[in-house]
Amino acid sequence: MADLVLYNYELDENSYRVRLALGMLGLDYETVAVDMFPGQEHRRPKMLALNPAGTMPVLTDGDLVLSGTSAILLTLAKVYNAVGSLLPSDARAFGEVVKWLGFSETLLAPAVDARLKSLFDTPGDAPALKAAARKAFRIMDDHMTSRHFDGQEWFVGNGPTLADIALFPSFALSRDFVVGHEEYPALRRWIRRFRTLKGFRTMPGIPDYH
Amino acid sequence: MKLESGFVPVALSSHIEPGTSTGAVVEQAELVVWRDNSGKVHVWEDRCPHRGMRLSFGFVRGDHIACLYHGWQFDTGGQCRHIPAHPDLEVPQTIKVPIYRAEEKLGIVWATTASDAELADITMASDLAGLRSLYVDCSLEHALAGLAVHGFATAGENAGTLTVDGVPLFIALQVVGPQNTALHISVPGAQGADISKRLARWAEALRFALESPELAGMEVA
Repeated sequence: MADLVLYNYELDENSYRVRLALGMLGLDYETVAVDMFPGQEHRRPKMLALNPAGTMPVLTDGDLVLSGTSAILLTLAKVYNAVGSLLPSDARAFGEVVKWLGFSETLLAPAVDARLKSLFDTPGDAPALKAAARKAFRIMDDHMTSRHFDGQEWFVGNGPTLADIALFPSFALSRDFVVGHEEYPALRRWIRRFRTLKGFRTMPGIPDYH
Repeated sequence: MKLESGFVPVALSSHIEPGTSTGAVVEQAELVVWRDNSGKVHVWEDRCPHRGMRLSFGFVRGDHIACLYHGWQFDTGGQCRHIPAHPDLEVPQTIKVPIYRAEEKLGIVWATTASDAELADITMASDLAGLRSLYVDCSLEHALAGLAVHGFATAGENAGTLTVDGVPLFIALQVVGPQNTALHISVPGAQGADISKRLARWAEALRFALESPELAGMEVA
């Protein structure tokens, strides 16, 4: 069944979210390199034909064409994670995972934008984006502080889910826009655990410890 | 308090797991706080002598910490022991990171650059364990004033006790910057999950109040 093609930009953290999911699911896939910066290829006719919204990444699975990071993650979990560990079917856990996916696309969006601003000088108010990113990280740190009191290491339930995959990149890459990890001890602990997961991979900005 | 005037709290002990490192900032001075695999904690200047990279971005292997940039490895004395680009080189003694005095007490890691400083002799009724570190966007003076509202009883410089829900909290304050203060909070060990979560929520409400424009009328649930 797997006939997966990822339209990917190596430095794009949303592409990385999908690469993480593909890796953790142990899936083989082809990549097509899309030069977002400086090429802006994601906003040119060839890519717009696949995804008129011009967002990255795009994943195709046979004739299914998916865009939107959460849509891709949810579909990958539904099709290729039959045990349901990444997207639990239990209503409460399902709701919490989807809540954090929403968080990753809304409250965490300033972190994505702050990083792009810092790396590629995209439009935006850098101090405001940074402040909003810190606020989102604080919400995450408060949540994981509480989870650790319950003896839990993951955002939802007792194992890693799509929530962790969707949230990891922004925090792990925060030094790209000069937000350190000093203020977030619970998130430091969490990313150390995350890095040990089977199928985990790094990207530029998230070092390999050799 | 500055590092050269006495012991400053820089992290909760429980937040520095064996084999890990983190950064900490005291009045704009950058530190690396790391724990070797034998469990001993170290606090150094956060600067690799090679290219100035922050060592806190690096990683711990056994009793060495390695710089992320070029993999230079330093032993627990701060002495460089291995340079991957020159594996056969006997590393000169001059390649050394400034190391500070570090101690653990009351569930907290403390550090100082002063050779004669003593860690305040504070005794609590029971052994303490870290609850959480609270990073607040306010000045030290503002934080102390906010704590005073709750009957904070000082014990040593920039530290003291406070009772919440019948639990005696020990709070030590770290000046990160002019408008950034860390409150390291520890509690008598072996609190249950529910009480710990309740105290953590109290701390979050305290943070909210401290960051509000006015302290007056501060309500902490």
